Amino acid sequence: MLANFLIGLREGLEAALVVGILVAYLARLNRRELLPALWSGVAVAVGVSLAFGALLTFGPSGLGFEAQEALGGTLSILTVGLVTWMIFWMARTARHLKGDLQHELDGAVAVGRRAVLVVALMAVGREGLETALFLWSGAQATGRGSAAPLVGAALGLAVAVGLGWALYKGSIHLDLRKFFGWTGMFLVLIAAGVLAYGVHDLQEAGVLPGLGSLAFDVSRAVPPTSWYGTLLKGVFSFSPETTWLQAVVWVLYVVPVMTFFVRIAWARPRAGAPARPQPTAVTAA
Amino acid sequence: MPSAARAALPLGVGLVLLAAVGGCASHASPGAAPGAGATTRTITVTSSADACRLSATTAPSGSLTFSVSNAGGDVTEFYLLRADGTVVGEVEDIGPGLSRDLVVQAGPGSYTAACKPGMTGEGVRQPFTVTDSGTPVPSLQSSTETDAS
Repeated sequence: MLANFLIGLREGLEAALVVGILVAYLARLNRRELLPALWSGVAVAVGVSLAFGALLTFGPSGLGFEAQEALGGTLSILTVGLVTWMIFWMARTARHLKGDLQHELDGAVAVGRRAVLVVALMAVGREGLETALFLWSGAQATGRGSAAPLVGAALGLAVAVGLGWALYKGSIHLDLRKFFGWTGMFLVLIAAGVLAYGVHDLQEAGVLPGLGSLAFDVSRAVPPTSWYGTLLKGVFSFSPETTWLQAVVWVLYVVPVMTFFVRIAWARPRAGAPARPQPTAVTAA
Repeated sequence: MPSAARAALPLGVGLVLLAAVGGCASHASPGAAPGAGATTRTITVTSSADACRLSATTAPSGSLTFSVSNAGGDVTEFYLLRADGTVVGEVEDIGPGLSRDLVVQAGPGSYTAACKPGMTGEGVRQPFTVTDSGTPVPSLQSSTETDAS
């Protein structure tokens, strides 16, 4: 039960954290009217994943390995694109902030209903099919008389959602600039992990080479089935056996994006002199 | 909910891509001749802490389903590897008490089947042979295992 609990936790964690951050954004930006769009994105992703997973589990045909890897790899890379866009949008937002003046955001930040919906959809949908297949295999085991695997998996997912909620609660009271700065840096690391994970999928599918050449193997120190291995994998997509290509792609993503983000989001605005003159800022000062 | 429907587009696109890739084991192989050999062969695999038992160690080429059940106490995964070590297919995250399927298109040749209890290391390996059934094997890759026929 514990092992299945940890799988459920790992599968749900990254999506729960991204959605938690997204909910916190909308709350901080006073854009709560966009929350229904966000939740419908989540609902569509969950619904499609469960339906498709059920079709593959109970239907007449299974899904070929290549197709599953191609889908996983494609969704991962699309997700990285969307999250990166979200990071840059946050960097711009953070730059416009002077202290904690909420109303200044109203003009500076335009985020559409569609964008919110699609980010939520992809964050949940990326690992959705894999998670659905795992859950349905638990349901099959329940049919054979053992509910423990399904209960374990469901509890793991519930804890993941709880942690996403805790992140939302914890970050909601941060100073607004700090909020954008920290959650943005966190997202850069999440996105880099997803990218490296997608690369590994494509290596396994044989689209990219180098599956056998490992940059490092710490699976002895960080067993993938341990609770800390689970957390590292769930949050940062950390793989204890990382290939050179994964490592290189991870670094090539993190270094420029993190540098760019920190320089923009954490640049200290000189008191009374905003980076860009704005009518509202002038009247406020 | 029109906006939700519109945003379901990326997932929809993913599914269409799937269909195009032709990954569904029994339907989406227009090239497969009906009749003998066109059905999916199922091999059951039982993975435990120190063993990887296959119901058969040889199978005819074509679409193969490995139905992997985990009889051990740790999470396991199952791989079908080519002679050169590259991956034909893999199914991971098979928790204790669970059973999951791996569907692959395999051409004739020598393979290695591996269960990896704990999802790390080399795993428990054993040879697996695919004989030529005459069924054409669709493949995405510049296949090392199929003599392009």
